[in-house]
Amino acid sequence: MIFLPIVALVAGFLLAYYRFSIPSAWADYAAIAILAGLDALIGAVRARLENQFDEAVFVSGFFVNMGLAILLAYLGDKLGVDLYLAVVVALGIRIFTNLGRIRGLFVRARMEAHRARHPAGADLKPAPPR
Amino acid sequence: MRAFWEVTRGWTLPVAGICLVLGGLLGVQVHTQQLRGAAEAGRRSSALVGMLTSSQNQLEAQAKEIAQLRAQVAKFEKEAVSDRSGGQRVYQELQDSRLTLGLLPVRGPGVEVELGDSTMRKPDNEIGGLDWFLVHDYDLLETANELWAAGAEAVSLNGQRLVAGSAIRCSGPVIQVNSTPIASPFVFRAVGNKETLASALNLPGGVVDRLRSATLRVRLTKKDDLVLPAIAVAPRFHFARSAAEETP
Repeated sequence: MIFLPIVALVAGFLLAYYRFSIPSAWADYAAIAILAGLDALIGAVRARLENQFDEAVFVSGFFVNMGLAILLAYLGDKLGVDLYLAVVVALGIRIFTNLGRIRGLFVRARMEAHRARHPAGADLKPAPPR
Repeated sequence: MRAFWEVTRGWTLPVAGICLVLGGLLGVQVHTQQLRGAAEAGRRSSALVGMLTSSQNQLEAQAKEIAQLRAQVAKFEKEAVSDRSGGQRVYQELQDSRLTLGLLPVRGPGVEVELGDSTMRKPDNEIGGLDWFLVHDYDLLETANELWAAGAEAVSLNGQRLVAGSAIRCSGPVIQVNSTPIASPFVFRAVGNKETLASALNLPGGVVDRLRSATLRVRLTKKDDLVLPAIAVAPRFHFARSAAEETP
């Protein structure tokens, strides 16, 4: 059932794209919110692959992180400091780290499958401990 | 149905729900950004185009009105002159003054001089130097000066009549004559003795010689019948008064 989230993503996009727009003053905050949401989603995928997924953590994290990111950006606006940059950098690093972990998990799974098929494959390094 | 819930329980449903929200946010954001970009570009250019068209229309309407009023004035003057004897000479003098001022269109033989930017390509290894291959305000000034010196009775440049108060000056990428922007090719029409005018321009070391050596395109033709337009705006005197009437 990996298709359900993808279908939901596309459906949400199309629905909002053809129906709604927001005041352009909010557009910057919406961008920050999207970044926070993306971070939560990718974090959820990683947690799922590591069998640590908890839906309460995920849902609360999604909304709370989004709110915090917007709040921080808003505070930066009021103080005259570009705090939204801090949000962008922090979330960007998290997204890349999580994507890296996910990639690592996939590569490791593939290598294990390969070793299972070729038990005598001495040319391959043993998988590092998890 | 039960199997479906078994499979989707746990993580698929919350992730799908969040995905719906996230997709919606993305859609809204993309839509808003597109609207923002389009609105900004559209606002700027349409406002400018509107301003340009409205002022062009205004200009045209006013030019038409001026021509009409001038024709009316001419008609009244003719009627007034025909009443009285001796008025004929005054009328002729008035017409001559108007020709000099550029208030009336002029027709007669003369020459046509066309100046164009060079067709040569700028050498790749040369930095700058593009100025050499363009027609400049001073080229036009020199040509106009030569035409007057050779006895031209009326001169026009790209449809702008040159009169005593006409300025030819460089204004960025265009040249302004009578405060009207013109661009290459530049066409002078001069009414006068066409042989004299042509030979004055063609003097060795003269204007045409110099321009041609700068690889500019120069085309000089003698014409039997040229029509020069009147100036659009009559000069007005705010400071100058006639001194002849005041002397005792």
